[in-house]
Amino acid sequence: MEIRPILSALLRNKTGPLLVAMQVALSLAILANALHIVSERRDVAARPSGLLDEASTFYFSVRNLNQDTPEQMLSTIKRELEVLRAVPGVVSVAQVSQMPMSQSGGTTSVAADYRQQRESGYASTYFTGDSLVKTLGLKLVEGRDFLPQEIPEVNEQTNAEVPKLVIVTKPLADKLWPGAPAVGKTMYFGTGDGATGAQVVGVVERLMSAHAELSDTGISSLIMPARQYGGGGAMYALRSEAGQRDRVMQEAEQALRKSSATPMILRIKTVEDDRKDRYRADTALSWMLVTVSVLLLLITCSGIVGMASLWVNQRRKQIGVRRALGARKLDILRYFILENVMITSAGVLGGVLLGVGLNALLVSRLEMSRLPLPYLVAGAVVFWAIGILSAYGPAWRAAGISPALATRST
Amino acid sequence: MFAYYFKLGLRNLRRNPALTALMVLILAVGVAASVSTLAILHVMSGDPIPGKSERLFVPFVDNGQPQEGATYDEPEDMQLSYQDAMNLLRKHPAERATAMFGTGMPVEPPRKDIPAFQAYGLAPTRDFFAMFEVPFLHGQPWSADDETRGANVVVLNRTVAEKLYGDVNPVGQRLVMKGEPFTVVGVLGDWNPMPRYYKLIGSGPATGEEFMIPLATAVRKELTPYGSVNCSQTRDPGYASLLASECTWVQAWFETRSGADRAELQSFLDNYANEQRKLGRLKRNAPNRLYDVMEWMEQRKVVGNDTRLSAWLAFGFLVLCLVNTVGLLLAKFSARASEVGIRRALGASRREIFQQFLIETGVIGLAGGLLGLLLAFGALALIGMQSRSMAAMARMDWEMLGMTFVISICAALVAGLLPTWRACQVTPAMQLKSQ
Repeated sequence: MEIRPILSALLRNKTGPLLVAMQVALSLAILANALHIVSERRDVAARPSGLLDEASTFYFSVRNLNQDTPEQMLSTIKRELEVLRAVPGVVSVAQVSQMPMSQSGGTTSVAADYRQQRESGYASTYFTGDSLVKTLGLKLVEGRDFLPQEIPEVNEQTNAEVPKLVIVTKPLADKLWPGAPAVGKTMYFGTGDGATGAQVVGVVERLMSAHAELSDTGISSLIMPARQYGGGGAMYALRSEAGQRDRVMQEAEQALRKSSATPMILRIKTVEDDRKDRYRADTALSWMLVTVSVLLLLITCSGIVGMASLWVNQRRKQIGVRRALGARKLDILRYFILENVMITSAGVLGGVLLGVGLNALLVSRLEMSRLPLPYLVAGAVVFWAIGILSAYGPAWRAAGISPALATRST
Repeated sequence: MFAYYFKLGLRNLRRNPALTALMVLILAVGVAASVSTLAILHVMSGDPIPGKSERLFVPFVDNGQPQEGATYDEPEDMQLSYQDAMNLLRKHPAERATAMFGTGMPVEPPRKDIPAFQAYGLAPTRDFFAMFEVPFLHGQPWSADDETRGANVVVLNRTVAEKLYGDVNPVGQRLVMKGEPFTVVGVLGDWNPMPRYYKLIGSGPATGEEFMIPLATAVRKELTPYGSVNCSQTRDPGYASLLASECTWVQAWFETRSGADRAELQSFLDNYANEQRKLGRLKRNAPNRLYDVMEWMEQRKVVGNDTRLSAWLAFGFLVLCLVNTVGLLLAKFSARASEVGIRRALGASRREIFQQFLIETGVIGLAGGLLGLLLAFGALALIGMQSRSMAAMARMDWEMLGMTFVISICAALVAGLLPTWRACQVTPAMQLKSQ
């Protein structure tokens, strides 16, 4: 192990090794942080919505152009629901006020006790005139779904009635009543003497909010019974049998349009597309970071290979002399690989420090999260491996230099 | 000598094609990454209405519920209630003022072959057009009389007008919207401020609102506000109670004659708030604020953290490419030590050598800039896939084009400083001796 000679040779001509070490350090710092952010964003975008079969769930937003009275609108809604239920392949239909991850919907503050000073949190409000639990395929872990007689018909323009019953999601139930069963408890919409309450009849395991926030609110949802009418339109969620979504969507649209004498404005969206749209920015950022990471590795690799080749060329004579004096090919190989390992190690050390520093900057200025140690360790290992592999080619060529040719002076 | 060195530089590019290609490619990639993120940053943080941005103000009064121990530094919603917006518009000291909310209406096109569709629009008061310098292709904004009466008049944007009426001037035509006929009074020209700073909360479509109707008309027809409606207290159902409630869903702007009038506007706002407090409203007692255009964009975090992250990353990447280029240039120049030695022996000063090699580096920078520009266009296209609003912003303008070359050449020159200096240090004697 000829560490001392290598070290003193490196110290004598510092520029090249320093440049390589700097490249390794910079790449490692950026790579570790970038991959951490990619992993985080991927996790965010993969959060389950709580729906049984997202790929088979879609919804219609219907708007009729005729100027109906509210009562006429109500009978239109009932008629449209019948039409949709009759389409073959439809498992369940429900009138709903908003859909998860659609980025459009209502939020309310919630409290376990109206005498609280501050609300306990916020929750996304789903109103349904049918069984949203059945249509979205939500998993009930406590209590039950609403009974048909518990669902009032609510004229949105005039009805001041506030829902008396509610189904909550488990994370919200745990927040409001930790450790106790939620069924039977009363939940308040806000705080203060004027706050109204509703009784919990059931708890579903998971239902993502309409805006899919990153905070707790993203998984805190309320389902309330109300057949809402009088707003000029309605939204229907449908679940088809597995694999049949596109066909059922088409047939349902045709059936709806045929059922109305006057033209209607129909908007169709699938839950899959909603998910894509909601996380589009995160996915794009992830791809950008991955692309940059790959480029970083390639550039650092090429930098190391380039430098190593240059040194081999500069030291042809020295290598030739060593070989003539009895060094084996293996010794030359080992020399160059060892030299590169030392430079890469210095770079990795610098990179770890730089990576931690960069992360601190990101945390303080850009509200990112702390970098966990495994990323730095993994990055260090990767760059060590790259250092050794990159140097292998030039080192092998160095070992192949013929002593006779190299020591010639012309 | 510059032209000669330039030609020499070009010729030397061909000398070691593999090495040169690698250098140019790496520099181009670094430049492309930096320029594309810089272009987006430039669009997002640029002044959308230079010359007026310090005279346009967003007012804010906090009408939320009082909460124990809260400091109200970050209000949940920065819009105004209908009552506050209307009151502020009534007695203000500013030159112009407007209030607006986003909404939607079903449109029944005059031609039967185009199906009915839901259009997204804005309901401002008529000062909006003058305040934001909105260009008109045909017609003009509605009259003050139309505004007071809440008449059925509409201004269409160019895309929708062309979709419905082709190239014909539609001013004066009737268009059925939400079951009632509206008279078209104007068609907007191309108006794409980036970002759409006039309505940052609950923004409309990225390509701009499709129609505009008077605020009074929208209220008379009881149109649902689109965007964000934030109610801190429960309210009765019905549109009338929405108007009377403390729910915030309206955005307002003031235009003053000069930036110096800000203080006057602020005291007007404070007096208004005190008046309202005497009536029992605005219980939070939070400070009333005014934001000019740039401050408002900052408050709304238009340049998000992700964009900043991309910009930082791109520059880190450029630095890496620079370091790499330094190494490659060192390799390239060290191979030419004998050439330098001969030149020096023939009488060239160190300065001449420095010039020669620096210009050669500049040529590499130029080549890198050209390739980088192509790559930057590709990168912008990729970034535009993020969202429709991002696609509208991922554009390169002439300024950015020039910036590409500036960055590329400067980066190359900075990278070339060390190798060039090294090349100058070559002692002629040593070089002439070795062979």
